[in-house]
Amino acid sequence: MNNSHRRIPAWLTDYLGMAGALGLLLLIFGLSTENFFSAATFGTIANQIPDTTIMAVGMTWVLIIAGIDLSVGSVMALSGAVLGVALARFGIPLPVAVVACLLVGLLCGLASGLIVVAWSLPSFIVTLGMMEIARGATYLVTQSRTLYVSDRLEMITDTTLLGLSAPFLLAVLIVLVAQFVLSMTVFGRHMVAVGTNETAARLSGIAVRRVRLAVFAVSGLLCGVAALINTARYQANPNNGIGMELQVIAAVVIGGTSLMGGRGSVVSTFFGVLIIKVLGTGLAQTGAQEPTKRLVTGCVIIAAVVLDYYRRRLRKTGTEAAQ
Amino acid sequence: MIGSAGAILSVRRICKTFGPVRVLHDVDFDLNAGAVHALVGENGAGKTTLARIIAGTHRDDGGGMTLNGQSYRPAGRTDAQRRGVRMVMQELNLFPTLTVAENIFLEDLPRRFGVINYRLLHRRAEELMAAIGLRDLAVDEPVGNLTVGSRQMVEIAAGLSQDCRLLILDEPTASLTDRETCLLFDQIRRLRARGVAMLYISHRMQEIKQIADTVTVLRDGRIISTHAIDTLTVEEIVNRMVGREISHAPAARTAAKGRVALRVENLCAGPRVQNISFDLHKGEVLGLAGLIGAGRTETVRAIFGADRLTSGRIYLGETAKHVRIRSPRDAIAHGIALIPEDRKEQGLFLPLGVDRNIAVPNLSRLSCAGIISPAAERTLARRHIDTGAIKCAAPDQPAETLSGGNQQKVVIAKWLARDCDVLIFDEPTRGIDVGAKFEIYAMMADLAARGKALIVVSSDLRELMAICDRIAVLSDGCLAATFSRNAFSEQTINAAAFSRHTATFRTQGAAG
Amino acid sequence: MFANRSRLNKYPLLPFFVAALLLTVIASGCTKRGSQDGKPRIALVMKSLANEFFKTMEEGARGHHAEHKDLYNLKVVGIRNEEDVAQQVDLIETIIAQGTDAIVIAPADSEALIPVCKKAMAAGIVVINIDNKLDRARLEREGIQIPFVGPDNRKGAKLAGDYLAAKLKAGDEVAIIEGVPNAFNGIQRKAGFQDAIAAAGLNLVSSQSGNWETAKAAECVSAIATEYPGLKAVLCANDSMALGAVDALKTAGRTDTVYIVGFDNIEAVQKLVKNGKVLCTVDQHGDQLAVYGIEYALDILNTKAAPADKETPVDLVTAETLK
Repeated sequence: MNNSHRRIPAWLTDYLGMAGALGLLLLIFGLSTENFFSAATFGTIANQIPDTTIMAVGMTWVLIIAGIDLSVGSVMALSGAVLGVALARFGIPLPVAVVACLLVGLLCGLASGLIVVAWSLPSFIVTLGMMEIARGATYLVTQSRTLYVSDRLEMITDTTLLGLSAPFLLAVLIVLVAQFVLSMTVFGRHMVAVGTNETAARLSGIAVRRVRLAVFAVSGLLCGVAALINTARYQANPNNGIGMELQVIAAVVIGGTSLMGGRGSVVSTFFGVLIIKVLGTGLAQTGAQEPTKRLVTGCVIIAAVVLDYYRRRLRKTGTEAAQ
Repeated sequence: MIGSAGAILSVRRICKTFGPVRVLHDVDFDLNAGAVHALVGENGAGKTTLARIIAGTHRDDGGGMTLNGQSYRPAGRTDAQRRGVRMVMQELNLFPTLTVAENIFLEDLPRRFGVINYRLLHRRAEELMAAIGLRDLAVDEPVGNLTVGSRQMVEIAAGLSQDCRLLILDEPTASLTDRETCLLFDQIRRLRARGVAMLYISHRMQEIKQIADTVTVLRDGRIISTHAIDTLTVEEIVNRMVGREISHAPAARTAAKGRVALRVENLCAGPRVQNISFDLHKGEVLGLAGLIGAGRTETVRAIFGADRLTSGRIYLGETAKHVRIRSPRDAIAHGIALIPEDRKEQGLFLPLGVDRNIAVPNLSRLSCAGIISPAAERTLARRHIDTGAIKCAAPDQPAETLSGGNQQKVVIAKWLARDCDVLIFDEPTRGIDVGAKFEIYAMMADLAARGKALIVVSSDLRELMAICDRIAVLSDGCLAATFSRNAFSEQTINAAAFSRHTATFRTQGAAG
Repeated sequence: MFANRSRLNKYPLLPFFVAALLLTVIASGCTKRGSQDGKPRIALVMKSLANEFFKTMEEGARGHHAEHKDLYNLKVVGIRNEEDVAQQVDLIETIIAQGTDAIVIAPADSEALIPVCKKAMAAGIVVINIDNKLDRARLEREGIQIPFVGPDNRKGAKLAGDYLAAKLKAGDEVAIIEGVPNAFNGIQRKAGFQDAIAAAGLNLVSSQSGNWETAKAAECVSAIATEYPGLKAVLCANDSMALGAVDALKTAGRTDTVYIVGFDNIEAVQKLVKNGKVLCTVDQHGDQLAVYGIEYALDILNTKAAPADKETPVDLVTAETLK
């Protein structure tokens, strides 16, 4: 079999497929609106993706270990709320407030992870619980009021390097590091093993619980990071991030990560986020109404997953051997 | 040839390809009413594919079949069943949360006003189980609670529940004990007397000699020969299967006893492991024999830390150091490896490549500061693919696409790469073709020669007697007896295996 | 244990019947009526208690009750998020079962809540509608009359629109960010904006739903601003979305050329009105809205007067009025 020269393109086709889909979307919107192909559009998208991207990175890891984290939107809101209250109500110095914000995210993730691991519970239900807890805590912390904090957080949104905003660069950095950890480190390999076959992983000497706990903690921490960016832009609004978990999961799955665990790529997730955001911005730019937007977004999500199915089948037929 | 006397099913020029791989080439053969037709061949020879085409779960790409003189091309499993063709699958097809009775009659549950009539269901199930000699199995027990062997019997019972004219049995005895096998054979003989045609797929030559009337050898998707069973010796059959001469028995081993590698004292873990004590020496192969449910797997899992110990001590190495093993991690750190019973569920990461599978327990050696060296990983995989004679198209070929024998070699390779001192093999040759079996025996002999200590759990007593230096026999969770090589005999070992089970097996004995 | 299980297997429906029986008994025991202390009982059924606007409304009601404890008993309930119609229906059914004299309701949907309100009226409960006006045509078809006590959102929006129009000239491009598509007050506010736009001859280039959310509004405003470089103003149907508009325009560097109009006068926006980033917002005296409803309910209970709609005041909030 011509396996050796089929292998390297497999990497490429993964990304090329995604990039192609993205290109197609860009083309469609470019033709159907006047000013889609403009620096402003791409600047806007670059500005809107960092928080979603960072959360999607954590979600990719969680899905790879065959878990799911429904609490990301709420945990981000809670971290942001703590940040907002610390700054606006108590006037705490910025660095301290930032650390508190990150800690809240980390602790929420750790709590979910500990419960999942300690009682071997499905993460779906545990994080569903955490989603409610974090949201409730957010309302308590903010007293259900939006706190205006942009003036204190301008250094986050306004710092730029080579014309790119700091949050965007941070998100890209996190994507690259997470992909490196996933594909090149022992920890990454352990995640894949746990997600593929937990029993075999345990019998191969992998500390399954520690891996799971760590992944949930990272997901929580990344929610804290996303909260910094989200709050800097949208203020500490207790309703921030409602429904965001589904948007994040959609982006990750569009990127070809399996909900069944064991298979996924952070870089592809980044493409998934881009597709979702380009779609959102493009549709808004065409002036489409809410029903159209939802219909089209839904179709694109399903089409992406169906395409991914065929791409994988195409790759598999080469190595298929029958008994 | 078509419509030859007594033929229920005639297969003519059947072909099948999967992707680029052609698995069946113009296969012709006939199945006669009231006869057991054995189909043998190495894994990957196309036996299961052929059986599945007949049973309707695969479709052929060319050729044709006739059933009772009428054209036969089943659209699916149910279509085949409607025409009286049934298959007992190699992989278990039961629903673990449903009861034994529900599983057996799933397709035809007795109903009254749409509500399941449990009384009738249970009575029918009990009758059927009694007919195949499984009286002591509660028919309202969820299948998930049963041992693998018992599940296999339920699967067979389910296959027999409906009237069938052609029954395909794919490795039915793979996880059965000798006794259960005998009961199954009684049932097969009864069906034969009733005129049922049977296609019997197995790797166990002794069984085929015992039960089959005709044997067809399949190699690389082609029919090599069909003979009456009496006209061929086992050696002749095996040679036809592999297409070359292979020595039948593994080389006789000289038991050069080394120092103690592992000492187990009063091991207790759950109801199936009670006060087990034994020594294992360097360079020794210790067999663990016993009936299904005697606690063999549970014992080795307890040693490996996969199940919790309730009491008992484990000592390792020349200094007999007392070690605490709380998890497989601990066991591996102390140089113990376990090749588990169910390679697909417990041993392999099926969608991952051969290289990744081999690397998993060896990552610390392949990495620096937590970062894996791809070159080191590749080298390790290549080396073990070569030395282990693993047949794969490329090192990154997914493990799920390999044949059973090659999958098992991958599981073994991942531990060989770690250079463990104590290797535990749980049913290492279950469902594996003869060629691969002998390769694995040779691998074990080589390990022992290099001073490793081996424990082998197997339901195949002849296998244990051929490869082990000593055999420890478990019976109902206790160590019943240990035999050295010169004292091996089927009768005494079987007697020991039954010694503590007599109460449980009384009803069954009466039935048999 | 085994004997037990096999018995269940023989009578698989037994546990179901037992459970059904128990539920019936519990349910029948729960229905009790009548006030213990003779004071009228008023149930305030809110939308999301997490939303700042409703929180303010609720606090106003509680404050009023604290001062008039001798006049009535108050019970406040709310739903999880603003669109959860089913949960609000359940809440009202529970209240009917527990018994009350009057229900003051801010309906999550202007039509879907009508049947359950009708049921409450049939049980002899006085129903007062606040905040989101129930659909008149549907009420007529059902043959019931539920008085609406509250501000005229359309009038309020027109006030803000007129104030904006004075700063612009005819033909200037403006856009509207709507609330969720089915919300009555969202529709009214949009209509009010449109009235003002038509009156001043402004050019409405796009009108899209921001789902009441900050992030969603930011996405829409970014896209619209890119597509229409000449855009002069964005009219938002609530202040949370105005916050999103502020962020979007800041990112696009258009803060100085595009006016933003909000609605609701939340605390976080007041700052922005003062420093000119938001042109104006509308105060409908949220803290008094529920109070007006409660007072009217007490009125009807005492006088048995025939119910009729009652309008409450709306005021424009600008940098001058905040000084």
